[in-house]
Amino acid sequence: MKINRSKFLLYLVLALLIGTVAHADSTADLKAAAAKAPTTADLQQGDPGGSLTGTINDVPVSDSKAGLTLGDVANQVGQNKIGINFTWTLVCGFLVMFMQAGFAMVEAGLCRVKNANHTYMMNFTVYACGLFAYWLIGFAIQMGGSAGNGNLGGLQPLSGEHALSIFGKTWGIWGEKGLFLSGHTYDVGVMVIFLFQMVFMDTALTIVTGACAERWKFLTFCVSSVLMGAFTYPLFANWAWGGGWLAQLGTNVGLGKGYCDFAGSGVVHAVGGLTALAVALILGPRIGKFNRDGSGNPIIGHDISAVLIGCFILAFGWFGFNPGSTLGASAAGCLRIGSIAVNTMLAGCTGTFGAMLYMWIFKGKPDASMAGNGLLAGLVAITAPSGFVNTVGAAIIGFLAGGLVCLSVAFVESKLKVDDPVGAISVHGTCGLWGVLSVGLFADGKSNYGGSWNGVTGSVTGLFYGDASQLVAQLIGIATLVGFVFTFSFVLNWVLDIVLGQRVSAESEVAGLDLPEMGQLGYPEFVFRPEPEYLVAAEQVAIA
Amino acid sequence: MAANKQQGSSFGLFLTGLTAACAGVACFSSGIGKVILLLGIVLLLASLWQFFKTKPLEGKIALGSQPVSMKLAGILVTLLGWVVVLFGLHLTPSVGGRMVAAIVGLIISLVGVLVILPSACNKNAIWKA
Repeated sequence: MKINRSKFLLYLVLALLIGTVAHADSTADLKAAAAKAPTTADLQQGDPGGSLTGTINDVPVSDSKAGLTLGDVANQVGQNKIGINFTWTLVCGFLVMFMQAGFAMVEAGLCRVKNANHTYMMNFTVYACGLFAYWLIGFAIQMGGSAGNGNLGGLQPLSGEHALSIFGKTWGIWGEKGLFLSGHTYDVGVMVIFLFQMVFMDTALTIVTGACAERWKFLTFCVSSVLMGAFTYPLFANWAWGGGWLAQLGTNVGLGKGYCDFAGSGVVHAVGGLTALAVALILGPRIGKFNRDGSGNPIIGHDISAVLIGCFILAFGWFGFNPGSTLGASAAGCLRIGSIAVNTMLAGCTGTFGAMLYMWIFKGKPDASMAGNGLLAGLVAITAPSGFVNTVGAAIIGFLAGGLVCLSVAFVESKLKVDDPVGAISVHGTCGLWGVLSVGLFADGKSNYGGSWNGVTGSVTGLFYGDASQLVAQLIGIATLVGFVFTFSFVLNWVLDIVLGQRVSAESEVAGLDLPEMGQLGYPEFVFRPEPEYLVAAEQVAIA
Repeated sequence: MAANKQQGSSFGLFLTGLTAACAGVACFSSGIGKVILLLGIVLLLASLWQFFKTKPLEGKIALGSQPVSMKLAGILVTLLGWVVVLFGLHLTPSVGGRMVAAIVGLIISLVGVLVILPSACNKNAIWKA
């Protein structure tokens, strides 16, 4: 194409003139705004209405001779975005950390008083065990290759994902950067994502203590928790959230947006629930739980008030869990946090109804502990889809989870003959898997987190809204949880059983674990009520 | 035997060994990194030996023996289901085909988890006696 040189020069001169005038205008605007800003004398009078504090004078100037420039303003805008996202993510992480208190109350309340100290202590110690292991190596395995999150400033130091090339595609297997948070990972953004991911990991670990309560040797619990925080959890979390192969199912083989688990129904809850099942199978049931004909005996917890207060603490913490998983409140579709929070509370509400109505209609009473488990089941189920579904979808997911948890508790006890004192396998395992599946069904294609998810352009859309391939990605995630994570946990804990022994002696179990394992009763001034005859008889047989 | 001093010291040794092993991995490219990794592994093995030595002191537990062969079979079937799902990804490019493979694999895994392993773990359960 022939270029008209004179026209080109004319346009160039015009563009330069417009640019110079615009720059001069904006610089003049900035100076005018600075002149109008309140002076030190104004501020000394106090600012009761809040209209004087926070002005152009608070924007840092990079070159005092040049004064405030557009570059300074733009830098401050960028830092504000990251600052908002850091604050949001950290505060949500603090909320999730507080869920440990809820778990401790729920689990201890559902156990007998003679095991209260031991159960509380497991929930307390799991925090230290998990955090330490995660700092050593777990975080590196999970997030060591997860660079690229713009909400937290890019996280560029986390740029090492170990990958395998299979069938012509590259698949992430584990991360490599971030051991001890040292070297280049001594970075402000990395610290934020570490704290947030760490409290999630610890939630998964503490699920296991509930299913194994009243018979788990404290030493083995400590070692098992360290290994889960170091390897089991981080490996699957890398595959789902750290840029690993499950997240790549969309980019590599065209399955929806890859495996989608917004806040961790699969990564946190199903991993915890399936590990709980694995350890509970190895541990066996508590003395007196089952009769010779296989029928189960109720072993009543000691404090239903602690259980229900614990459930509320957990529901409160869930507002950190789900909305916090945007990893920001500014830009990239993060304003959806309101929708995510409402979905969370709605699913908890309908989950409570699901379980309470099931028990009321089929068993005759609105059982308090199952109502609490229904609330948790709804919250667990909405965790994965909370960022992708509308309120109607959330309500349905929660309600079905509430009924499902009742059926699952009965199935685990009467068919599998697995003793789960708190229902953790059903609440977190079964309903966690249901949550993962529900993304593939109910995701409405309206969410937009920066235009893509897992590197695939568009919004996450489930089967009911037209994308069957997303359901397949979710099914592969479920199959990985059941087929790989469960097996890994079972083998790991089987080895620990061989080397350390998982279970306390029958004598300690009968006495209650507070004195033999902890050296102190949870409630030293209580006078224990004699246990039911069927338990006493079974205990005598076990000791003999 | 309940919790005791030996357990505390062996757990301390385990944590020290794990820390050293991870430090060795962190600086594996240097010579000192390899030495620290080796030291960590030795400490971990020593802690496992201590665990194993004190295990018999625990006393009689209320758990029947769980047949190893059945447990292994359960593990293999569970894992096999997952392999079927992975294989199905490359067997066909169609969404329907992959969905069928995923469901078949999942069912196989569930047989391992919900049928074989509970049967193995409860085969000689004390409540049956």
